[in-house]
Amino acid sequence: MVFARQRKQADTKNRKQKNWYLTIGIVLTACMLIFITVGFFWTPYKPSALSAADREAAPSLRHLFGCDQMGRDVFSRTLEGAGSTLTIALAVLAVGAVCGLVIGALCGYYGGRLDALIMRLCDAVAAFPSVLLALVVLAVTGPGKYNVIGALGVLFIPSFARLVRGEFLKYRDRDFVQSARLMGVGDLRIIFVHILPNIWPVLLSGLTIGFNNAVLAEASMSYLGIGVSPTEPSLGYMLKDAQGVFFTLPWCTAFPAAVAILLILGMGMVGEGIRERMGVAS
Amino acid sequence: MADSMAEPIVHIRDLNSWYGRGKDRKQVLRGVSLDLAPGEALGIVGESGSGKSTLAKCVLGMVTDITGELAVNSPRPQMVFQDPYGSLNPAKKVGWILEEPLRAAGVKDREERRRRVAKFLSLVGLEEGHLGRRPAQLSGGQRQRVAIAAALIQGSRLIVLDEPVSALDVTLQAQILRLLADLKEELGLSYLFISHDLAVVYQLCGRVAVMTGGEIVEEGDVDEIYDHPKHPYTKKLLEASLTLD
Ligand SMILES: Nc1ncnc2c1ncn2[C@@H]1O[C@H](COP(=O)(O)OP(=O)(O)O)[C@@H](O)[C@H]1O
Ligand SMILES: [Mg+2]
Repeated sequence: MVFARQRKQADTKNRKQKNWYLTIGIVLTACMLIFITVGFFWTPYKPSALSAADREAAPSLRHLFGCDQMGRDVFSRTLEGAGSTLTIALAVLAVGAVCGLVIGALCGYYGGRLDALIMRLCDAVAAFPSVLLALVVLAVTGPGKYNVIGALGVLFIPSFARLVRGEFLKYRDRDFVQSARLMGVGDLRIIFVHILPNIWPVLLSGLTIGFNNAVLAEASMSYLGIGVSPTEPSLGYMLKDAQGVFFTLPWCTAFPAAVAILLILGMGMVGEGIRERMGVAS
Repeated sequence: MADSMAEPIVHIRDLNSWYGRGKDRKQVLRGVSLDLAPGEALGIVGESGSGKSTLAKCVLGMVTDITGELAVNSPRPQMVFQDPYGSLNPAKKVGWILEEPLRAAGVKDREERRRRVAKFLSLVGLEEGHLGRRPAQLSGGQRQRVAIAAALIQGSRLIVLDEPVSALDVTLQAQILRLLADLKEELGLSYLFISHDLAVVYQLCGRVAVMTGGEIVEEGDVDEIYDHPKHPYTKKLLEASLTLD
């Protein structure tokens, strides 16, 4: 009795903490999205505008995040950079998740030799760090936004495929699936209408991890100088740009880095919140 | 009662079945023979692992590694599973779950589907209010009623029930068994009713086949087998069922 009550208390306490994860994550992510969306339409200064007078200016009311060595407003550039980073991360995610979903669903549901072969292939791709492989791909295709998206997107497929496949493996022999087969429901409908809605939470949490990996991968690539072009700098590109003034103009590094970290943190907390809520449910 | 003139809805002779392939290929059913007449409820009893579910799957065409004669004279026979948690899609609402068999059967008109759903919902003793709920929001008994409605709604005449009340407590068992008996009369259904519990079979079925080790060792009228079991295994099963009650 006492034990039962204690357990119940612990349970509700845990659930509250979990909800906090999700709540803070969602709020943080929403703030970042608003921040970035504003940047698509308005920046206090033109991000590429040079102002000789404001060269190396420290953060102030006029320039919230200060200026760089060429007198460009870091706040405006961060807004634009975050937008570029978000767009690329979402596009990478779309390519990786959609292809991974379809491949993983078909492999998990049908199984067999083709499934074994495809999973072997996925293992091979996943064995290398994706940034390294993307470097190789971009060495062939050349840099640029769309090449980055394509290369990273393809490299993100295996992890999604594996995640989705595992879930479909779990569901394909459940009674409700067999029952649907007996009723004459077609395979594709069973896969995408009967089974898929059951794995949304898992998929969603996978998407948050994927999003963060995409942000990091894009940043690393830009940092290595093979990512997006200088005309549409991402957060990673800004960090690389500020390397030389890391100690003299710390705000050039600190603010873009902080925005990237908050973006990742928010998404990470959303994912964690979803995972722990699923843990309670099951 | 089996009518020797009517064509059986299920006809099985010397059925053998296997699971697995190559070295792992294992025989489960051994020379099973039985007939199920239209409108009849045939019970299959036996302990866990005796091959009852395998027999059900053979009838439904879900096990394909078989030899012998197997004829099912009913379009799209349906199954009611033991665990209504597993047999209803947890992500869908009851209304969707009941409409889906109709969509699969090509009933395009939405109003027509709604009408039929409403009809079967009341047949199994549920209300409109249940349509908007998910399986997790229903009790075990309500869930099994939904599963029964879903199995019936395509108009199938042959229903295979694999331990449909084994997961329920005794009061609910009695309710569901009564419902199944009523539905059988009203819709002219044939049941292949599987259970490990002779007492449950006794309440619903006219005839019973006793299974062990993949073989049918005794078959006949329920009363006859209840009062004068011949095979030692049947006697053992009967004793077990009586001590439980
Ligand atoms: N999918 C399967 N693959 C391999 N063996 C199985 C499978 N399903 C059941 N069996 C085996 O077949 C035998 C009969 O099982 P089953 O028909 O489920 O018995 P029952 O329903 O009477 O408990 C058991 O020994 C079981 O281990
Ligand atoms: Mg069984």
